[in-house]
Amino acid sequence: MNGVQYIGEQIGWQYAGNSFVFLSFVAAIFSFICYVISASGNELEGDNWKKMGKIYFRIHSVAVIGIMTTLFCMIFKHLYQYHYVWEYSNDAMPRRYTLACFWGGQEGSFLLWTFWQVVLGNVLIRTSGKWQSPVMMTIALAQAFLASMLLGFHFKGITIGSNPFMLLRDIPGFAGSPFVSMPDYASKLAPTAQGLNPLLQNYWMTIHPPTLFLGFASTIVPFAYAIAGLWKKKYGDWQVEALPWTFFGIMILGTGILMGGAWAYESLSFGGFWAWDPVENASLIPWLTFVGTGHMLIVYKSRKNSALSTFLFPMITYILVLYSTFLTRSGILGNTSVHAFTDLGMSGQLLLYLVFFILLSIVLVVINWKRIPRDKQEEALWSREFWMLLGSLVLLMSCAQIIISTSIPVTSKIAGWLHRIQPLFGDFLEKIHNQAPPVDKIGFYNKWQIPFAILILLILSFGLYFKFKDTDMKQLWKQIRLPFVVSLIFSVASAYFLKETNWFYIILLGMSWFAVCANFYYWVKNKKANFWKAGAPLAHTGFGLILMGALISTSKEEIISVNTSKKSVESMGKNYSDATNILLTQGDTLRMGDYFVTYTGKEQKGKDILYSIEYMAKDSQTHKYSQLFTLHPLIQLNPQMGNVAEPSTKHFLSRDIYTQITFADLSDSKAINPNTNFTQPKTQTISVGDTMFSSNGIIVLTGLDTHPDTAKYHLKQGDIGVGAMLKVTDINNKVYTAEPIYIISNNMVQTIDADLPQLGLKFTFPKIDPETHKVDIAISESKNTARDFVVMKATVFHYIIVLWLGCVIMVIGTTLAIRQRIIKNREAKKEAQPA
Amino acid sequence: MKKTHIIAILVIAIAFGVILTSLSNNSTYASFKEATGSPNHTYHVVGKLDRSKPFSYDPHVNANLFTFYMIDKDGSERKVNLNRPKPDDFEKSDQLVVIGTAQGTDGFDAADVLMKCPSKYTADSISTVKQSSM
Repeated sequence: MNGVQYIGEQIGWQYAGNSFVFLSFVAAIFSFICYVISASGNELEGDNWKKMGKIYFRIHSVAVIGIMTTLFCMIFKHLYQYHYVWEYSNDAMPRRYTLACFWGGQEGSFLLWTFWQVVLGNVLIRTSGKWQSPVMMTIALAQAFLASMLLGFHFKGITIGSNPFMLLRDIPGFAGSPFVSMPDYASKLAPTAQGLNPLLQNYWMTIHPPTLFLGFASTIVPFAYAIAGLWKKKYGDWQVEALPWTFFGIMILGTGILMGGAWAYESLSFGGFWAWDPVENASLIPWLTFVGTGHMLIVYKSRKNSALSTFLFPMITYILVLYSTFLTRSGILGNTSVHAFTDLGMSGQLLLYLVFFILLSIVLVVINWKRIPRDKQEEALWSREFWMLLGSLVLLMSCAQIIISTSIPVTSKIAGWLHRIQPLFGDFLEKIHNQAPPVDKIGFYNKWQIPFAILILLILSFGLYFKFKDTDMKQLWKQIRLPFVVSLIFSVASAYFLKETNWFYIILLGMSWFAVCANFYYWVKNKKANFWKAGAPLAHTGFGLILMGALISTSKEEIISVNTSKKSVESMGKNYSDATNILLTQGDTLRMGDYFVTYTGKEQKGKDILYSIEYMAKDSQTHKYSQLFTLHPLIQLNPQMGNVAEPSTKHFLSRDIYTQITFADLSDSKAINPNTNFTQPKTQTISVGDTMFSSNGIIVLTGLDTHPDTAKYHLKQGDIGVGAMLKVTDINNKVYTAEPIYIISNNMVQTIDADLPQLGLKFTFPKIDPETHKVDIAISESKNTARDFVVMKATVFHYIIVLWLGCVIMVIGTTLAIRQRIIKNREAKKEAQPA
Repeated sequence: MKKTHIIAILVIAIAFGVILTSLSNNSTYASFKEATGSPNHTYHVVGKLDRSKPFSYDPHVNANLFTFYMIDKDGSERKVNLNRPKPDDFEKSDQLVVIGTAQGTDGFDAADVLMKCPSKYTADSISTVKQSSM
């Protein structure tokens, strides 16, 4: 403090917020301690501790709600003296993004995660019965870790957590700023507030993070049950309880990931729905093992087999969630991802969180290793459990490949560190240290993941036809014959129709058809097409459709904005093969794929500059253009964060046309003197009815006007004026007229130019031959710079609708499966009670 | 031998294959000098934009070519030809990573560039924001 008395600061919010943060942390620790004691003692003794643990968890819950309410009110009331509010919101932003501001920063997104675990914890307190203490102890511990991320506690140079209730003037970076010495600064901060990154000012930002974080949070439930099982040495009772939770999490996390894809596709300039960006990968990795978890739990529930896997899969999943969090928030991806968070000094804490849960899992598994029941007999080759295990292992391997490649910045850092501290394996470590992420990410990951995708689809096509324990294979072949033949026909037809030539793609296409047909047929035949029993087959059908849509739209992705005027490209050599961006000058029409595309103009709406890109068709007989649709890709101006381009897409059933501005001259083009930007005039001598050509139009001299408007052209008495009536037709068949004037005044020749600014043409009429009536017309063309232009990229995605359809079907299927599981669990409990 | 053992061996074998090929397949970080040494290999080069030299982008000539000069960590400089339109806010970038191959002794053909913009927290940028608005 520097002795300044500040006016108008609302310090109360900070006290409230910090009290809630502290309370939430302490209550979570107390709750954890009580639950641990309860879980370690016998049933009777544990009861009081359990009650205490519950009360502390409730207090913790209230405190978390308190933190959120405080932060929300601060944003809503625009209290810019607080750093978080100043950083992520401003006055200009619409109210509907208040929530988006809330989780726009790291602290807010940790709060969101904490909040969902509070919700899950409170539901578990009600529903988990005798498992309450051992399950809740893990959740309370995780809550304590998460709450510590908000502490903002400084101790001997170590910072614990990043506090969202810091005043702007207390942030070290602002210490020397002039506002710190102004008593009334609080009321003057509004214009300087940073505001939410324009990338995030989007309705997806209000729904995507909550969904994703609920998905992440739900991975703790099977994990907590697995830990509880080991802690209580009850290795076989928890799986049934954790099963519906796991599929709930799979559904929510899957929805969250796909929402991220839809967001990227609709409004981020990634050029597609999935770019294999490290941050996207970080969310996909735990989902894959989560799906494995769910299926291993089913195996255990049905056959009491593979107990060890039911412990390992949830542990791996939860640890991967923590690892993903570390990857995206420690700043380690800095050079490799477009949208990772920057380090807020929490990487040490995150690492501690991660290492702690890894060690906890390892120690508990090792202690119990001998006692975890092993399978007395091997699974039969043709049993459902065997194929579920196999499928889960394939998912695990696919996941491993993504982890290894996404972790290159991490392994590079570790290798560099090892290299410095010890002399062994010098060359190898050096090599690992210099590793860079794949150059062509999409190509690289697709190549690796396609074989895994083929295997997974194969397994889930047959999966449901296998019976638990053992299957009558004759029966199976008989049942699957029809879907197999149907999918074979579809595959051949679609591969032929799409002109697929890559064998990997063709096999993947065939497998996805097989998965769709086999699972759909299973539902019709074995579940009598009962909607409520559609769960698993429908979810599998959806998954098949997702991969089919992804495959077709990716492999047949067609960039139509290719430079067709070969002049510039050929001279550049082979290294400049990427000619996917094209210059489109205002008014010009270029052919792109089946379309003829014109840039007609731009307009500014608030911060957005909207470009009108008109797509037209050309009639082959009449050569006339007809307008099909207009897209409005935009560039959002943001001097603080950098401008952002947002694509615009036209959706059809069979194709999407995706258009994105990759470069636009944002300087004011009107400021340039138009006269200096014209080409040297080209003079031609013509008669009435003759035609001339400019680069963008056809010019016809329709006649000579011997009595031009004297007032308009300021002609004096005695002046002789002649106008050349020109009809100009542009390439879109639009007609313009222009009339340059030739004047003889006092025996001197004067000219008055005629401009056609729309086409960038200027006409001069310098000479007339009185005998032949031939006239000279000089045409100057504006150099292109004077006309506005954009550099754009246009891509056609074929049948991407199949992907979105698959998403919806998978979500519905998984929801139905959860419903079935819950009903079955209830029935089982009812049956067990009377006995 | 049990089936599970066979599967375990297969899984381990595939996992090893995946790891080894992932490690050998990737591009590596290098300096301009190393890149010039093996012009057929794709490298990531980290460096800074040379602000004393001009950068040029003329979409009328080629919308897919942007050239600038970059100095790598060892201090050597190359003219970089980026096969992309000029990225927005390129001028503000602090650190650059160019991905591509060397071209001759003084050029570098980049397929892509990653930019790191200076942190918003530098005291400099904040005091200018403050002063201009108060």
